[in-house]
Amino acid sequence: MATEAKPLEYKGKVIEFPFENPDESNLPLESLHENLAKPSTGRTKRLKARCRWKHTSAGEFVDDSVRAGIERMRYITESYRESEGRPEVIRRALGLANILEKNTVILQEDEFILGFNAERPNYVPMYPELSPYTVLDYMQGKYAPQPASEAQEIVQYWSKHSLLTHAAPYFTQDEMDRMNQVSTMSAPPFASGFSSMIPPYETVLEDGLLKRIQLAEEHLREAKEKMAAPYWNAGERLELIAKIDVWQAMIIADKAVISWARRHARLCKIVAENFESNPKRQEELLEMAEISHRIPAEPCKGLKDAMQAKWYAFLICHAIERYASGYAQKEDKLLWPYYKASVIDKTSQPMTHGDAVELFEIERLKVSEHGAGKGRLYRETFPGANDLFILAVGGLNRDGSDGCNDCTDAILEAARNIRTTEPSIVFRWSPKGRLKTKRLVFECIRDGLGFPSIKHDAIGTAQMIYFSQFSKNGNGATLEEAHDWCNVLCMSPGLVGRRKTQKTRSEGGNSVFMAKIFEVTLNNGFDWSYSDMQIGPETGDIEDLKTFEDLWEAYRKQYQYCVNMVSSAKDVSRYFEIRYLQMPFVSSIDDGCMELGMDANELSEQPNPWINPITTVVAANSMVAMKKLIYDDKKYTLTQLKNALFNNWEGYEEMRKDFLNAPKFGNDDEYADQIVKRFYEDIISDELRKIYNYSGAPQLPSGQAVGMSIEAGSRVGPTPDGRFGGQACDDGGISPHLGTDKKGPTAVLRSVSQVNAATQKANLLNQRLSQPIMRSKHGFKIWLAYMNTWHDLNIDHVQFNVVSTEEMRAAQKEPEKHQDLIVRVAGYSARFVDLTTYGQETIIRRSEQDYSAEDLEYLGVEL
Amino acid sequence: MIICSNCQSFFELPKDADDYAEGKGDCVREEKDEKGKFWLSKSTQENSTCSLFKAKH
Repeated sequence: MATEAKPLEYKGKVIEFPFENPDESNLPLESLHENLAKPSTGRTKRLKARCRWKHTSAGEFVDDSVRAGIERMRYITESYRESEGRPEVIRRALGLANILEKNTVILQEDEFILGFNAERPNYVPMYPELSPYTVLDYMQGKYAPQPASEAQEIVQYWSKHSLLTHAAPYFTQDEMDRMNQVSTMSAPPFASGFSSMIPPYETVLEDGLLKRIQLAEEHLREAKEKMAAPYWNAGERLELIAKIDVWQAMIIADKAVISWARRHARLCKIVAENFESNPKRQEELLEMAEISHRIPAEPCKGLKDAMQAKWYAFLICHAIERYASGYAQKEDKLLWPYYKASVIDKTSQPMTHGDAVELFEIERLKVSEHGAGKGRLYRETFPGANDLFILAVGGLNRDGSDGCNDCTDAILEAARNIRTTEPSIVFRWSPKGRLKTKRLVFECIRDGLGFPSIKHDAIGTAQMIYFSQFSKNGNGATLEEAHDWCNVLCMSPGLVGRRKTQKTRSEGGNSVFMAKIFEVTLNNGFDWSYSDMQIGPETGDIEDLKTFEDLWEAYRKQYQYCVNMVSSAKDVSRYFEIRYLQMPFVSSIDDGCMELGMDANELSEQPNPWINPITTVVAANSMVAMKKLIYDDKKYTLTQLKNALFNNWEGYEEMRKDFLNAPKFGNDDEYADQIVKRFYEDIISDELRKIYNYSGAPQLPSGQAVGMSIEAGSRVGPTPDGRFGGQACDDGGISPHLGTDKKGPTAVLRSVSQVNAATQKANLLNQRLSQPIMRSKHGFKIWLAYMNTWHDLNIDHVQFNVVSTEEMRAAQKEPEKHQDLIVRVAGYSARFVDLTTYGQETIIRRSEQDYSAEDLEYLGVEL
Repeated sequence: MIICSNCQSFFELPKDADDYAEGKGDCVREEKDEKGKFWLSKSTQENSTCSLFKAKH
């Protein structure tokens, strides 16, 4: 049975921790989370029971019936074969139009939100124009698209035309080999085509696509008139040719999307009139038909319209025009006008708050069925989830007022009720945020969802202002617009709105693996434990690093090499995305692209560049341990360390214990924290800021891990922090390494706060909190005090696991009984039983933070 | 004749449809698996043929 937290003596009193809900004492501790889901209606309960998850584990789909579809790649390829010789942007638009005209559209039982990305509900779409090798990977396994001979022909076609084909010649074979190891650096983005973006949903909802077509037609007419008018001026007018093509492509794309939505409308009407016998469902199907006939062609009127229009736009932007991971939006701001119209004013599509909650539950289940035809590496990188889907709520409005509203609450209530891993939620924390909404944030976290993750509102807004100064066209975020941001993917903020949003991962993204870089720094740039090749510059053998500063500077050079390489790979990808992977639909819904006649890949108004350092804390702790035991105390020599590492510590157990017990980050230890602070600021940030990206801005580090702490750790040899080769690394940008934070939750906060958050784009902090305290009657009060302290310490981010080891162990034994057990991995949450055993163990090994009297005193809690 | 226009699954496009063309229709089929019922709609031409043909009643 669930047990209460032990009583604690605090400020002269004995504090008891009874459950907030006394009935919980009757629930078994080993299956608590199986009792927390409360779908708000019978419909959402049924939808969840039959949800077609596309979760992956160790690179494989958990559901055996998942297959790769052929329709998307068939129709884009068919169109490309027919459009040779046309301008590339027009070819992209025609490709999209061909897909949308000919693909299969789907309606499922009980659905209210229409639209899917493949020809059957258990299929995922393929993107041969991004990466034909990903299609080849699928073809070799049980997910193979059929017919296989057609898939083979498609791969052959794109092997001459893909992003990889265009970009690879600009790198030497040696450079390609080094990147493709994915040991110190991520593979080049032009090999995978991985992307993320923030669609400007606002224009779709506010204007409708007919209005966007009208705007493009007006620009087109003006441009053609200008071309024809006397007197010809080449300098002014030749540039109009490309713009004319872009506006024409926008019109083709938008007309195709309207027509596609109306195919869904026809399907609903046909099913209502020919297949469905339940009068209530018939009526609903006709309502859905009416909405999809009108939306997204016209402006939205109520919440049902807005939800449907947003979903159609999401599908095109993220899954059909090209693949982009994510579900980036500031959802409560985006939908607030429609929530207000439907729930409060009842002027359009009237409904209750409860109805709105049901709609958000339906949305969560819709996202839960959305899969992506990603390559194996990216299927391994997000274990236990379909893909990355992260939306944002909370924060402040443009005028500095509280951004929380009743729509925020409906979104959070839906997440708490339905218990799905996706989409994850980011809550932008501001002291002005209303308590009622913060209580709902707490309830989601307390119930073990692992989200909302919390971002510091003011830090994110200040970052938008910082980057706006580098805007190439002088049109970056205004002070007001800087308040309108969400996370682009897991961690990094980016603007939302009608223009200036991030459209491609080649703006921000790509990773370097800090622990591996540390390993090769000790070996003259040679990777002895994994790839057996020279992976970086020659910076000297370990015995050459006579002083700590020698080590520091050698690491700096290895890091410089890696960030320079991945930055150039990113921008070269961008160069070819602009020329061959235009996004006419995305461009059509961006006010900037519409005004300027530019493709969304090309137009950059608000820079947002970053690189992801992953496994940083293992590297930082290794730096600390070497300084302490070799350079300061001189207890061991560099040769002894070299021998110990080459033997994976075997035969050096006492020495390993010394290195393991050396000061570690996350314990409010001045010695460790000052080195780690310098590491983050002097090397990670300062070196990266010397690199300017396509958008003309210096890059910042965005520390996060996705599932790569688990997966990348397997490629990292033994490290001087006492870690064995192959073991998992730290699980976030600035999270203390597994089990090494032993001084309680406030010591972690004090350590993390040492690093100046303004020098980083983002930094992920995972914490695992005591479940009995969080579920006690004091849980909210203690957590709120923790959050206020976190905010005052100016920390960028924090997220929580609240799940007992007992329940995770029980789930390992009987996974079929623990389908609702969710854990936070990194910037996303995963179903625990869908993780590999190795991945599960990394969650269990995280320190479960209890609160001592000293912690409570530091937080200023009155109990 | 085994052509789409004589099939139960064929629904001719209304003349005001954006994608209207002479003889074009939607092929709508109901399917069911362990997760429930769903309906698939695909564009077709009235004189096309396919192996899933089911004569109209």
